[in-house]
This record gives sequence, structure tokens and C-alpha cells, in this order.
Amino acid sequence: MTTNASGFTQLAVEDFRLTEEPYYLEINDEIRLFEAAYENNIPVLLKGPTGVGKTRFIEHMSWRLHNAEGQSSEEGVPLITVACHEDLTASDLVGRYLLEGDETRWIDGPITRATKAGAICYLDEVVEARKDTTVLIHPLTDYRRLLPVEKRGELLEAADGFLLVMSYNPGYQSALKDLKHSTRQRFIAIDFGYPDRDQETEIIQRESGASAEFARDLAKLAEKVRNLKEHGLGEGVSTRLLVYAGKLIAAGISPRRACQVAIVWSLTDDGEVQRSIEEVVTSIFDE
Amino acid sequence: MPDSNVAELVAKYEEELRGYGASLPDEFNRSATALSAELSSDQLDQWAKTGISLAGQSLRAWEAATEYFRSSPSIHEKTDFEGVIAWAGIAEELAQKSSLVAASFLKFTPEVLTHISLDELSEWSKQGDRLFRGNWKSGTLSAAYFEHTPDLLSVLPLHSVEKLVSIIDALTERSYELASTCLETSPKIFKELEQPDREPFLDFARAVTRASWADTRLYFERGPDLIASINSQYRSGFLELSAKVTSEVGRQAFPLFADAADALGQLPDDTHAEHINFASDLALGSPTAAMEYLKIVPFASSRLTPEQLREWSNIGSDVLISENNAEGAEAFFRLESTRAEAALQALSSRVELSTISTLLRMYAKALTGEQIAIYSVEELVDQNIGWVQESVATTEGSSIYLPPFVSTFEAQEANFQSYKVFATHQTGRIEFGSFAYKWNQDGSFTSATVEDREASSEDTSPEGDDEPKAAAVTAMQRYFNSFDERSLISGIFTVIEDTRVDAYVGREYGGIRKWLKQLQAYEANRRPRIENMPLRSAFVENLLRASLGRPETMRWPTVYREFLENGLSALKLVEEEEATVQDSAEVSAVIYDIAQRIPNITPSMADGKFEFDVPTEDMLSIQPAMPSGDGPPMDMQANEQEVEFENPPQPEFRGDFKPELVQLLARLKQQQEGNVDGEGTPLTKEQLKELLENSVEITIAEWAEGDLDESLGMFLENLEQAATPSGEGKSDDETSGSDESSGGDGEGEEKELPVEIDWSYYDEWDFRASDYRPRWTRVGQRFHEAEEEPEFYSETLRKHHGLVMETRKQFELMRPEVFKKIKRVEDGDELDVDLAIEFYIDKKAGIGPTGRVYNKRNKIERDVAVAFLLDMSASTDEEIEKQRQSHSDDDDDDFDGDPRKYFQWLAARRASQMIEPPKRIIDLEKESAVLIVEALEAIGDSYGIYGFSGYGRDNVEFHVIKDLDESMSELVQRRIGKIEPIRSTRMGPAIRHTIHKLNEHDSKVKILILVSDGRPQDHGYGKDRTEKEYAVHDTKQALLEAKRDGITPFLITVDKEGHDYLQQMCDDIGYEVVDDIESLPRRLPTLYRHLAVE
Repeated sequence: MTTNASGFTQLAVEDFRLTEEPYYLEINDEIRLFEAAYENNIPVLLKGPTGVGKTRFIEHMSWRLHNAEGQSSEEGVPLITVACHEDLTASDLVGRYLLEGDETRWIDGPITRATKAGAICYLDEVVEARKDTTVLIHPLTDYRRLLPVEKRGELLEAADGFLLVMSYNPGYQSALKDLKHSTRQRFIAIDFGYPDRDQETEIIQRESGASAEFARDLAKLAEKVRNLKEHGLGEGVSTRLLVYAGKLIAAGISPRRACQVAIVWSLTDDGEVQRSIEEVVTSIFDE
Repeated sequence: MPDSNVAELVAKYEEELRGYGASLPDEFNRSATALSAELSSDQLDQWAKTGISLAGQSLRAWEAATEYFRSSPSIHEKTDFEGVIAWAGIAEELAQKSSLVAASFLKFTPEVLTHISLDELSEWSKQGDRLFRGNWKSGTLSAAYFEHTPDLLSVLPLHSVEKLVSIIDALTERSYELASTCLETSPKIFKELEQPDREPFLDFARAVTRASWADTRLYFERGPDLIASINSQYRSGFLELSAKVTSEVGRQAFPLFADAADALGQLPDDTHAEHINFASDLALGSPTAAMEYLKIVPFASSRLTPEQLREWSNIGSDVLISENNAEGAEAFFRLESTRAEAALQALSSRVELSTISTLLRMYAKALTGEQIAIYSVEELVDQNIGWVQESVATTEGSSIYLPPFVSTFEAQEANFQSYKVFATHQTGRIEFGSFAYKWNQDGSFTSATVEDREASSEDTSPEGDDEPKAAAVTAMQRYFNSFDERSLISGIFTVIEDTRVDAYVGREYGGIRKWLKQLQAYEANRRPRIENMPLRSAFVENLLRASLGRPETMRWPTVYREFLENGLSALKLVEEEEATVQDSAEVSAVIYDIAQRIPNITPSMADGKFEFDVPTEDMLSIQPAMPSGDGPPMDMQANEQEVEFENPPQPEFRGDFKPELVQLLARLKQQQEGNVDGEGTPLTKEQLKELLENSVEITIAEWAEGDLDESLGMFLENLEQAATPSGEGKSDDETSGSDESSGGDGEGEEKELPVEIDWSYYDEWDFRASDYRPRWTRVGQRFHEAEEEPEFYSETLRKHHGLVMETRKQFELMRPEVFKKIKRVEDGDELDVDLAIEFYIDKKAGIGPTGRVYNKRNKIERDVAVAFLLDMSASTDEEIEKQRQSHSDDDDDDFDGDPRKYFQWLAARRASQMIEPPKRIIDLEKESAVLIVEALEAIGDSYGIYGFSGYGRDNVEFHVIKDLDESMSELVQRRIGKIEPIRSTRMGPAIRHTIHKLNEHDSKVKILILVSDGRPQDHGYGKDRTEKEYAVHDTKQALLEAKRDGITPFLITVDKEGHDYLQQMCDDIGYEVVDDIESLPRRLPTLYRHLAVE
């Protein structure tokens, strides 16, 4: 890790470790499940709507695992996150040669680095990636734990501690963008739903610093708004948005206004649905 | 003059007189005797001669002479001899024309002279003379004039009578019968009118007669009554206004007058001045607008305060004055303009359910998580399943019923918030489980006692009715059964449970707490006086007031305060967090016990033993607790005087609460869905009957009429129907009617199943007012169900095999259209720099480089949706040959006058018609449809085919032949075969409905193609039958709406005269006039290709 003169830190992806515990509230038994999967080298698929805490969960696990493993606090499980998009290619993941003067130099891609470093490799929103890239990871996910690096003609065996984790939001998948069965059947799937009212209250309060009362009201609002899913709303309001609203409230914005900008307008552009949600907001918050 | 002279005179003329008429000498004799004292003998002789000459005028002139002699003495009393002679002179002139008229004149003169002076006599007679036209009918009328004028003159001055005569005279040109009726009735009419109204009434009558003579009778008949309801001070003003209006609007005048007068009659007297003055101002610009204004005022004032009404009217008058748009102002005041409606809504504090029901539906869905429909409470009442109040909110467990409007408060916001409170309270019942009562289960604070209660109630029930009771159908019923006094327990349970729900709502929804409080306060102020109530009712009422958050308004005898204190502390229990409906049930039971010990008597009955006091401090700060033990003994025994217990009225915002019925409905629903849970066996009729008979939730009055069993049966049917899972029966947004006639020929359709029709409403553009008429047209969409074999379709395919193949090929060529960038190809239109660099790197690194460095713009799937709208108007029935014939009449000389050639031609034509029936325009439309279907199937565009027709704005028929997302099937083929000409062509709404359909469809390119055979026309699609402008403008506007929504409209017409109106209608919208009609099937696909590719 190097700290630059201008004050920012720059570090190699495989060196990224969480030193402070990221807040995560267990909803079911997902922590226990993940730990078991990790011990047994079983790749994990995190399913669930946006903003319920999938990424937070994986961060929390990477922090937790390095603590639980009894390793020294320096030597934790690194977390390498790749945000997938439709132009993501195999060499983006595995690595490529670069031109340096007259020479070429090989540079490892994130997945290669994770394989070598024994890191958790987290492919966020994996369905967005091109199909050919998802096939690439197949040998990594079964008993072989191998990564073929085609361009160098090498085969890389994953270091201990390496685990492939993907996230996936079944909510807005069209038939076109679905995971291939050969891919999805290599993972155990942990389903993330919305937390219940009490849990969500706790999360909002903890994350946003809003008062318990507002946090509870926000959680209540979330419950009501989620009832509208499929009735004008594609997806229910995420915990993330609730936290944003909570932060705005904590910063002194009036609750109604905070909900309007953080929840109502974020969720939909449909005037009528907006109005309906606003009415729910004004029913719950009195100013 | 001595008597002898008279006798002489009589003798002298008797013979002559007798020759004219037998009674004449007697009359002469009598009058001569009377006059002899006054006149000289010369005068007398002249007088007699005048009479004789009068009698000699004509065969029946003796009658006139008789009247002359008879009236003379009284005439002479008023004038001198000269006057009498002058009078006779007038008569003589009249007699020359008609002795009948003259006689009438002479007869009624004495009477008339009591009203007018002698000088006016000639004027009076002139009017009578004016009516006489030389024929018998006019003679009778004229005579009638003289007969009725004495009466008339007692109420009208002579110059007014003249006016009346001119009206009558004008009427004679149309109908003598009408004229004489009016004449005969007028004395009575004018007598009844108040003096100042008479003249204006007459003026307006004259105007009506001029504008529409036939309405005169109506006016004479109804006019007086109509204006009687108008403030007498302003009647004349109103009539003057009406008269002014009439000169402008003609025929419409009387109906406008009648409606306006009627409207004014509905308004308070003291507002008439303002409205009539305002209307008079409007009349300067548009008389029609003035009358429309008066007509709309009652409606508008039902929604607006006077101040708001003024504001609203000023907007309308601005349209007239500032914008100088008379038609616009008329539409405005007719409320047929969007602007008027919007302004009304913005100003009015009243909130209509219809405008917010979608909003509330989503709101309720959000709150409860259940699919809850919102209906007007009127609909629930119509279902006749036990709910009878039309003005209060309620729920039957799955839907929420709200009053159709709320106008309680002066601010719109407050009324809207009231709606929210209503809705929240009702959803609260669902959300917080008011209907989830389970038998004998413990609550959060109470333990169940009802089982014991049930046992003891069975023990104590009187021996008399030991009929075995049917088992209770629902837990709620069983609960109520455990109490002897159902009405009391039901009333208490309602108060308690509503208290619980209110408390929940207040806790959960902090935002509406304020409005809930406001409504509670509003209700608390409207409670009936406790002091008038008997003690037990007062007890319940006090609990209710406490639950409305106004304990300080309680009134209760301090001597019995423990009763109320125990009740209150129990009530407080359900306001606690976590309280459940089970708690409500137990608390109600305890309160019931307390209430039962309170005799239901008034203070006066108890000989002043108690009176109602204000609550003590203790009462106001009571803590929640279940009362223990029996409480204090009551020092009064129930006695004979006790009044029957009545529950105090429910506060409006809480609405009707019928848990027993709701549970029953839920049970029935379950039963119908076939998943009767553990509780087991289906319900028997006896069980239901028992429940309904005992339930206090149904008003007994409902059965009162007719046979009890019968009405019970009907009620049960209604209940079962209500429990039927909705979906087929009721659609969510627009209730679909199926009873409407589909406009076509009635007989054939009776056999078929009723067609399912979906109604939609659309605005229509009124170009004169430059505004939309809101929800003006109603479009009924129906699926064209057809039984016929798809012969037509296959037949057309066979017949046009070549053409079909050709168009298919052309269409297949145009398949690729939109492009998408594809990366990493070996050959393409552009180089990807990143990839190229990679290529060199790989090459340098010695790795087999991939040559895929190009990007290519590839063709992807077309994304086009097209809707074809076919004109199914009656005119498409026309044969093409005939049309062609009519256009080529001048070709006659082709036959060179050679009849043989002509007959040859005729025979050939007949023969060809035998083989092939003459083609109609609609047939070509159908063939085109077939071709286009074939072509479009080849390229895979989404397409819909619709037909439209109808009659009038309420019944625009919209036939779905193939819906946009429906796939091609044999059914569609059959539907194409069944396309038939129906009625008119109201294009606007049909286009709007198609736009609506296209908008719902998700496509990049949207096209609307309208195929018609002529200009748009329909009943009421314009001012009158001949007006074309209105329809053309509306259609144009609809096409513009399409463009605005990103749809490409295109018009195809086979009307050769099409160019003139299409140019106007289409501005910059594409259209084509297909000259050779028969080329339509060929032309349509070609056109489509252009449209879809451009």
C-alpha cells in the first residue's frame, strides 16, 4: 500500500482488505451458510433485489472470515469486486498484454489476481456480462479450481482461500438475460429478501443515524411501498434508499421531503404511482 | 219624447224589422223605449234607420242589428247621439265584411267601454278588423277577439292588447286553431300574471311566435308557471333577456327559456338578481351563452360557493369577451369544455371519488398489501347484501366503499384528507384484523370468556323457543349469539373495535393523525345531546365520545360514576398497542355486562334520582384496566318504564361496520372457491337463514315488504353472487356492460351470446370553442366473434394468389431495418481502435492475434407496430360498379345509340354478376386486410386490425378483428370474413381509441393507417346534418394527437372527392386518395412499405 503525497491511497486490488467491520445485520442464517460454503470451496450466488445488502454482505464476510480463520489481522481474505457490464470480455477478467515502449508486458486481470491471492472474487450483476465470459469461470468453480490463461498458455490453480461469488437480481431479468443453467448449477444460491420491519428499523437507524422513531416509520413506509410491487412499481424500495432518506432526515431535511426525493422520485416516474406513494408518505409522516 | 211617439216609431218599422228577424222588433221596442227619454224623435228615427240599414247589410246582419239595438241604450249613457252614430258607423263597416264580427263588436262594446274611452273604440275595432281575412275561420276569430277583449282589457292596456293581436295574427298564418286557443286562454293567463310581468311576458311571446310559432302554445301553457318561480322583481328582466335571446337563437329559444327558468327556480330567490344581471351581460356577446349560464348555475352552485361561482363564471365570460369566442363561452357554460371542467374542479372544494379512486386504490393496496378495489358506496347498496347507507364508508372485507363525494369542509385539501381518513380507517379494519375474530381466543390483555358465556346463555335462554339452533356459521356469529341482547353487544363491539382501529391508525400513521383528530372533533360536535338519552344509551354514547378523544364532552350522573369509570378503563385497554380484535371482543363483553345493569330510563322517569353531570377529574385521567368483580350495585331496578335500547349513531368517518356479514361473505367465498377449510361442511340454507334473521347488521325493514322467505332467498342469492370471485363479472376499471345493443340488426343477434363490450370515454374537439368536450364520446370495444368458416380468407388468398406472393416477397425484402452495432467481427464498417491495439500487442507478444477488430452495424429485429382502422360505415356497402357507373354516365354514347350494343353490354354485365356478386367497397377493404395480414406475417411486425362504426357519440362501435398482441389464428380469419357495413363514421373517437391501444404497445415505430370511403360523419357530429366542418376538425385533431404521441398516422380513402376535405384534415399528415378503387388491395401493402421504412 502506498500513500501518495496528494493524500489518496492506491493499492493493488488483491491487497484490499477490510480492517473495520462493515455493518451487517444477519437476516436469516446467511452468515453461517456462507462460512460453511467457504470452508468447502463451494461458489456462492447471491440473489435478491437491488439495495438489500448483497454487496455489504460480501464485504462483511470478507472481513469476518479473516477474523474467524484465526489469521493475523493483517492477513485477511482480500475481496476483489468486478462490476459486470455487457462489454466485459474474457481478457478484461483474465488479463492482457500491454505495450511498454517496444516491449509487451503481461498484466493480470482481476480474476487471475484473485486466483493467485486466494481472494474472494465477487462478480457483481453477473448476468450483465457477455455469455462467453461466464463460461470462462466454469473450471474455477468445480473441483478443479483451475483458471486457464489462454494467451500465456498457462493453467492457474487457485490458491487456498479463493472463492467465486456472484450476485444476481432476478427482479428485472428478461428471458434474454438469464443465467445459463450450466453456470447457475455450479453455485449454491443464497436468497436475499427485504428485512422485516424490526430488522430494517435497526439497519436504518444504525446506518443513517436517524432517530429510532424515524427509522421505524421509514421501515413501515418501505413495507407499504413494497406492497405496490407489480402494481405500478417494478421493484420495491431498497433498504439503501431508506438509509439515504434516513440520512437526509438526520441532516435536518423534513421527513416528507426526504422521502419524496429519496424514495418517491427514485422509484418511479409514473405520476399516479408517485402520488399514491406520496399519500402513504404523508399518512406516516406528519411533516 | 212621449211614449206615443215611440209606439209610432215601432209601428213604423216593425214590419220591416220583422222581415229581418223575428226577435228584432222586440229588441228595437225595448231600446227605443229606453232611449226615447233622451233622444229627439229625429234622432230616434235616425237611430232606427241606422239599425235597419245595418240589418239589411246581409242575410244574417239582423243579428248585428239585434246587438245594435240592445247595446244602444248603454252606449248612449256614455256618449251623445253623435257618438252612437259613430259607433254604429264602425259596426256598419264591419258588417259589410262580416255580420258575425259586427254583431260581436256591437255586443261587447258596452262592456269594453268600462275599460277604454270612447275615443279608443275605433282603435279597438281596428284590431278586430285586422284579424278578419274574409273567411269563416277568421270571422270566428275576430268575433272571439271582441268577446274576450273586455276581460283582457281589465288586465292589459289597449296597446298591449294590440301586441297580443299581432301575435294572434301572426299565428293565423300557421294555424287558426292555435291562434284561437291562445286568444281564448290569454285573459286567464294575464289575469294570473302579476301586473309588471304582463308586458314583458307579451314581448317574449311575440319573440317566440316569430322564432318558432309552434312553441307559442307551450309558452302560453307553461310560461306563467315557469316564471312564477323567479323572484318577482326580476321576472321582467328575465323575460326581456329571453326575448333578446330569442331574436338571436330562433327555434332554440323556448327550450332555453324553459330550462333557464326552471334552473332559476331551483336557486334561492335572492340570488336571481345577480344571475340574471350576469346573464344579461353575457347576452350582449352571446345570448345562447347567457341562457346556458343560467341553466348551469344550479349544478355549479352545488359544487361551488357563491364566491367561487363568480370566479368560475368570470373565466367563462373572459372566453366570451377577451377571447371573443362566443362558441367557446357557450361550450364553457354548457360544461362541454375541458377548460370549464378543469376550472370547476380547481375551484370546487368538493372532492369526487371518481377522480381519486385510482390513487386510493393504490394507497389501500400499499397499506394492506391486498388487492383492494375502491368503489362508490352506492354500488354496494345496489348489490343488496345488507348495506343500506349510501353516504358512509364501509368495507365488505375485500373492497372499500366510499361515498361518491366529500364536501364537508371548505377547503379541497381537507375534503381530500377526509377521504384519506375514510380509506385509512377502512383499510385499518382489514390491516388490523377487525374481521379476523376467532372463537374463544385470548387477546393480548384479556383471556377468552365467551365459551363460558355461551354455556350460561344457553342455560338461561327461555324455555319457550327451544328450537334447536343451527350451528353458527362464523365465529363472529357465535360470539354475538352468546349474548342475549344482540343489538347492545353489536353496538358496543362496534364502538370498541373502531376505537381500537382508530388507535392503531393514530399510532401507525402519524401523518394523518392531525386529520383524524379534525374529523373526530367534527363528529364530536355533531353528537346528539346526551341529556335527551336514556341512561344505557347515554352510557354507550359516553364511551363513544371518549373514543373520539373528547372525554370532556361526556355527561354522566356522578352517583353512578363507577359504571362509567369501569367502562372507560376497559375501553382504554383496546387503545393500547398490541391490542387485538380478541381484546375488543372481551372488552365489549365486559362493557356489555356493565351496560346490562344500567336501566334504560330517562332522568324524568327516575323522579330526579339522577341528572347528567360533567365528568370528574378522575374520569378524564382513567387508566386502562379490565374491571374486576361486578362493580357497585345499581340502586335502581329495571322497571316497566324502561325504554327500548337504541345504539347512538355511528360517527361518519368510521362508517358502517358489519363484521358478521363480512365473515359470512368470506366464508361463502371460500366455499365457492372450493377450499372449505377444516371448519367443514358446506353451509345449509337453514344456517344462513338463522344468521341473517338474527343479525342486527341487517335492517329488518328490508324484509318488511312481501314474503319473508322470498326476500331472504333473494338476499342469499345476492350474497352468493357477491362472494363469487370477481374477474369475469366485474372488471377493475370500467365496468363492462353487456346489455347494450350493438347497433346492428337486432334479430340475428339474439341467438348469439351477448357480446362483451369494454367502454372507454374520449374527449372530442370542438373547433368552435377551441376546446375539448370532456368525455364526450363513448367507444365500445368488442371482439368481433364470428361463427362462419374462414372461407372468405382462403378464398381471397386463392383468388389473389399472384398478388399475395408478390407482396410477400416485397415485404420480406424490407425485413431488416434497424441496425445494431456488433463488435469483434472480421469484416465490418469501422475499426475498433481498442481491438486493433490489442491485435498489435498480441502480435508482438507472440500470441496468435485475433483479427476480429472491426465493428459492424447489423440489422436487428424490426420494432414496428401498426394498427389498421377500417371504416365499417354503411356507405361501404355501395357497389363499386354502381359508383363507377355514376361517374361515367357520360359514357353513354359508347353505344352509339345502338340498342343492340347496349343490350349486349347489359347481358354481359348481368352474366358476370351471376358468377360473381357485385363487389362492394367493404369487400375490397376485407381483401386488403387479407393481403396485408399475409404480408405482415412475413416480416413479423406487430399489427392490429380494427373496424369502427356506430351511431351517435354514445355508441361508437370499435370492433377488434385482430388485436395488436394477438397472434394470427383461424379466429382472426373468420373475423375478417365477418366485417360488415354498419352505420356512421365518427372517426375521432375511433382514432383516439386506436392511439390508446398503440400507446399501450411497446414499439419503436408506431403507425396508424385509416382506410375509409369518405368524409367523417355521424349523428351529432356537427351542428346539424349538413355541417361537415366539425367532424373534419375533430378528426384532424385526433390525428394530431396521434402524431403528438409519436404515432405516424396515414389516411387512405377511396373517395374521389376526398382531396378537398383531406387537404384540410391532414395538413402535414400523409394521405392518399386511391383513384381506382380496385387497386386498394394492391396499393395498401405498397403504402405500408413506404411508411414503415421511412
